[in-house]
Amino acid sequence: MKAVGARLPRYDGLGHVTGRTQFVDDVRVGRTLWVKALRSPHHHAAITSMETSKAEKLKGVHAIVTCADVPKNVYGHLEALGVPADEPLLADGEVRYKGQPIAAVAAESEEAARAAVEAIEISFEEREPLFDIRKALDGEAPQIHQWGNVYPHYGPYNHRRVRKGDIEWAFENADAIVEGVYRPQAIEQMPMETQVALAVPEASGRLTIYSCTQAMYFSMGVVAAHLQVPLNKLKFIGGTVGGGFGGKVDTAADTVCALLALKSRRPVKWRWTREEEFLASSTRAPWHIEIADAVTNDGWILGRRMLTLHDSGAYSRFSPYGVTKHAFHHTGAYTIPNLRFDGFVVYTNRVPTTAMRGFGVTSVSFAVETHLTRVAHAIGMDPWQLRLKNANRIGDTSGNGVAMKDPSTVPVTLAAAERVGVELPAEFRQMTPEPRSGDLLPEHLREQQRLNGEDS
Amino acid sequence: MKLTVNGIEQEIFSPPLTPLLHVLRDELDVTSPKAGCQQGGCGTCTVLIDGEPRRSCLTAVAAVDGSEITTLEGLGEPEQLSPVQAAFHERYAAQCGFCTPGMVVAATALIERKGGPVERDEVLEALGGHYCRCTGYVKIVDAVMAASRGQTGAREDEPETGEEAPVMIPGSPA
Repeated sequence: MKAVGARLPRYDGLGHVTGRTQFVDDVRVGRTLWVKALRSPHHHAAITSMETSKAEKLKGVHAIVTCADVPKNVYGHLEALGVPADEPLLADGEVRYKGQPIAAVAAESEEAARAAVEAIEISFEEREPLFDIRKALDGEAPQIHQWGNVYPHYGPYNHRRVRKGDIEWAFENADAIVEGVYRPQAIEQMPMETQVALAVPEASGRLTIYSCTQAMYFSMGVVAAHLQVPLNKLKFIGGTVGGGFGGKVDTAADTVCALLALKSRRPVKWRWTREEEFLASSTRAPWHIEIADAVTNDGWILGRRMLTLHDSGAYSRFSPYGVTKHAFHHTGAYTIPNLRFDGFVVYTNRVPTTAMRGFGVTSVSFAVETHLTRVAHAIGMDPWQLRLKNANRIGDTSGNGVAMKDPSTVPVTLAAAERVGVELPAEFRQMTPEPRSGDLLPEHLREQQRLNGEDS
Repeated sequence: MKLTVNGIEQEIFSPPLTPLLHVLRDELDVTSPKAGCQQGGCGTCTVLIDGEPRRSCLTAVAAVDGSEITTLEGLGEPEQLSPVQAAFHERYAAQCGFCTPGMVVAATALIERKGGPVERDEVLEALGGHYCRCTGYVKIVDAVMAASRGQTGAREDEPETGEEAPVMIPGSPA
């Protein structure tokens, strides 16, 4: 135990405080070209024509790539899990969010690259955009994705479901039904280092890619898939990330740099501007969460109905996974024996949303904890006592049927109460995670205990 | 044009309206000042111009012709840290490290100007234009205050090794 509790220096700390740390943008490679992208000025539009020949002839321009240059243009993060691909690297025929990349230029300078982007001739036919996830399933809502406005690949369903116990019984036997709507909003991860990549073609035929990715092997797979090359043609150098917070899990700049490096036979660098980071990079998803709890006057939560709409933006990326995590956490750290949860991944004309610090879970935790306090106020019970009464105990089962072996809800809640000076009655102070008994094992919680016993 | 950068005189060939940030990074390969926003908003491009903290991204190089420029590289070496660098290192005030160049440079200027211990509100004022997304600022403010008081080197307020019993949550099943 030399490390736990010890004040060890950071392995990269000296580099950070002396300015010696080399971030991607700090790597110096001779003859590096600058990349700029043509991005969609519209939220939703058909691309009716595009011509790059004038731009290609401008001084200092070495390569331009469009969707026609990408060996495998459409890719999906979850293809290995059987989810079909849906997102083009460079837009092909239509654009589904403002800022979506359509073409990219590599040129001698930032200015030359920008001038070439402006010289690309392109025309659009604007379409009506969809921004409100609550209207996505209306008959007249604009259809924005090839799968419709809802992700359809949760097994036989078009949404993530949790079903447990007898939800009808819970609502019939409740003393009160407490409803709430929660709408956590989109957040830009906003790392201090914007998205950046540097791709260097080597004499060996390999590509060296300096990447700010949070997920090195994942990014290697993404680039290899788009380029249709074996992994041994790619050498990734990374691990020094100027902040990510989930925003650098998706591969943002690496693949376009790789394509342009191969086409121009020159090192190329793409450093997004702060505007691009805010307008075109992924954000945390906004959500619409509706909860109805069937509760008794003495503070038991007999059942929960919940509907979640997850704004995926224009493409799937990791959103189906985010909603699955959300579903598994929709009871919070509490035991509710009767459940009916439906979570939808909804497409809109926003930037695609993705990971950020507790992907899918922070939103549901915010909703659940806020709702528990609302329940407590509705039945006139202390919110701490409500939480402790319904807290997960050894032998309780989660929404998706996992039996609890070491739930920490009780000790953590008691420790939090103590730290903030909340005084609880002795019967609550003395609670432990041990299996339910006596007053804490009412009839409606006996069934799950009995089932556990039979299972194990 | 000429600049003295971290004590070394350099002749500058970039066009006169080139931002000092690009001259440092792209002409002179001095890369600690970062292109965080390039519009004066984030503070990570901050350098000392004749001792004063300035945004290098908004400063045309011609406007500072003949000046002394100090960047984070010029404040100390890994083997010989300046007091602010040592305090940032020892107190974990640098996490991802991307804002650190501007933070350390601006804090150094504050402490030199004050010439003695700086208070919390003075740190907040001096670093108010510097964004950090990792630390929540607490460790940065603590490090600057400690550096201004000479509180660097071995720390007595924390255990040196992990031999003390960790604090357990009451009733923890662990």
